[in-house]
Amino acid sequence: MRRRACIAVVLVTLVAGGCKSSDDANSVQSTGTGARTETLKLGAALSLTGALAREGVLTREGYDYCKAVVNEKGGVKVGDVTYQLDIAYQDDTSKADVAGQLVSQFNDQGIKFVLGPYGSASTEAAAAVIERNGQVMLDSAGADDNIFAKGYKNTFAVLSPASLYVTSMVRAILELAKPTPKTLAIISADDGFSKTAAEAGKAEAEKRGMQVVALEYVKNQTSDVSPALTKIRGLNPDVVLVSAHLVEGVAAIKQSKELGVTPQGFGETVAPPTPDFVKTLGPDANGVLGSSQWTPDVAGKDKYFGTAQEYAAGFEKSFHKPEYHNAEATAACLALVLGIEKAQSIEPAKVRDAVASLDTPSFFGPLKFDSTGKNVTKEMVVIQIQNGEGVTVWPVSSTTKPLKWPATAR
Amino acid sequence: MSRFLQATVLGLLEGGLYALIAVGFSLVWGVMNIVNLAHGAFVVIGAYLAWELKEQFGIDPLMGMVVVAATLFVAGYLIQRLLINLVVNAPIWMTLLLTFGLELLLVNAVLFIATANLRHISTDYNTASLVLGEVRVPYGQLIAFGVAIVLTLLLVAFMDRTRTGLAIKSTGMDRGAARLVGINARHIYAVTFGLAAALAAAAGAMVAMARPTFSPGDAGRFTLFSFVISVLGGLGNTWGALAGGLVLGVVQAWGGQYLTGTLVNAIAFGALVLVLIVRPSGLLGKPFYEARVEAA
Repeated sequence: MRRRACIAVVLVTLVAGGCKSSDDANSVQSTGTGARTETLKLGAALSLTGALAREGVLTREGYDYCKAVVNEKGGVKVGDVTYQLDIAYQDDTSKADVAGQLVSQFNDQGIKFVLGPYGSASTEAAAAVIERNGQVMLDSAGADDNIFAKGYKNTFAVLSPASLYVTSMVRAILELAKPTPKTLAIISADDGFSKTAAEAGKAEAEKRGMQVVALEYVKNQTSDVSPALTKIRGLNPDVVLVSAHLVEGVAAIKQSKELGVTPQGFGETVAPPTPDFVKTLGPDANGVLGSSQWTPDVAGKDKYFGTAQEYAAGFEKSFHKPEYHNAEATAACLALVLGIEKAQSIEPAKVRDAVASLDTPSFFGPLKFDSTGKNVTKEMVVIQIQNGEGVTVWPVSSTTKPLKWPATAR
Repeated sequence: MSRFLQATVLGLLEGGLYALIAVGFSLVWGVMNIVNLAHGAFVVIGAYLAWELKEQFGIDPLMGMVVVAATLFVAGYLIQRLLINLVVNAPIWMTLLLTFGLELLLVNAVLFIATANLRHISTDYNTASLVLGEVRVPYGQLIAFGVAIVLTLLLVAFMDRTRTGLAIKSTGMDRGAARLVGINARHIYAVTFGLAAALAAAAGAMVAMARPTFSPGDAGRFTLFSFVISVLGGLGNTWGALAGGLVLGVVQAWGGQYLTGTLVNAIAFGALVLVLIVRPSGLLGKPFYEARVEAA
């Protein structure tokens, strides 16, 4: 089909253009004025089925929105050539090793620019392959600090690292909650991302004089956290922080109510900002704190998506109210686009260097990477569910409403 | 002490639900010698149908359970007659392959239709707990436990006291002999498979009501636990499934309390291996099924 379409364009414009075979990653169209339009194919191995399918789909929506907006605004200009973005999606079935294989297949097809998979495990597997093949990956959802501890040069994460997820909530609570809570219990899933976040949060709390009475682990993606809750109930902590995903996060709130675990406040890493959290829990969600990579209250602006508010309005027209998963996916795609523009080349090595030297504001917050590929200047946002809506309560510069505390007394 | 009691109570309640999930799996394995890897998918489908009935028509999951069980009975009967029957005499790996494929198909169909969003059925009674001193007994899980016990008793009565039940048992023991005395084995197999699907669907409705959340991805875990419980309790034995479920639930709860909550599957298989070392035919298994005669 594409070959036929390509031939048709060339015939119509009566210019002898190089019509590449459909196996090539990038195809060319000529406009007859010297300037050419080409298609730049990016690859993305996402969790479209399996345990992480929901988050995988949110990520795909973020990528699709980026593609649509960038193409609509004329595409990516490199010298005389304007590149229209196209994204090849593959399903990693929520398995890390599959993500790695798919990224390798992209390389075989000549796709050198990759948008990251969903989740730290898949991203870590993909990053190793990216490095070996000299591809460039913009990571949108792999926050585990371990990904950046291996000396990789070709993976860049737009999102804040895992170590800030629980830490930011500890900081927010200690700054804003009155009376200041003294004891903390942490429940963590046993995957790398959640553990990194929990351990960093524990260190931060202890550094700031809080007593951490328990750090309990539950199985990743379990819907039963009652063993951990039974353990911490007798310790009567002032605050319970849960470092896990949506399924464990929902279970923790529901089962706390069933088992009579009633701290002054609950905080959870990734669950509360997702609409499903409120939808599934109803009024029980109220008061729960959550850490978020992004809310529409974040400061910053870029030429493609404008401010965070403008991004949110535009995204909602195409899909639904954006979640931070959507925004971080779009931001990863944006960073790649800005990198290619800065490099004025689609040579992977040059684009890699350009991305590494980016220092620009965006709807997602600042995009600036350190030597390990982490986005170091961006802060996490802490939200609280109030009347069924997530409102930004920290950092104070982005606050839309004050923190309610005690937050979850029943 | 209250920790121990709380953990034990939660373990027993969870075990009852496990037993309900596993009893149909055990029945099909025991009678038809088919390890139905699609069993967890039936549980998930039951959960989604019960959820849909509650969302669309406001039907309580305890009532909805009857409707979804009846629906899945018919579906199970047809699946056996049209699909599973093709491989009923084939080597075990063929049945594994077929039911594994069926599982993938069903789970992905659910994923396609219902998306991967987490679901839960909310009722007036399943958000609170019975408070017994320091021990809390969540009503949702308590009701699911009661349903598991009642359905197990009904199944035992059905198998021991009705002509169809006895025909199922005799077909399981010796299909050739059963045919000689006039039992229509094809029909009996289909009824057995339908019954197992109906029980799985009922379990699904209880999962939707008693567990914090469910999603299509849970199917694999349900099948895995059904496998462990069936072998643990003794194949094809209804009481065995109940005993296996309760043992697994309590062992996991204690493990989670005194070891670590991350070893759920390791503890499950550890318990299985221990029981098999001591009692190779399972907790309540009898050499009964070992005497099965495989005849075409």
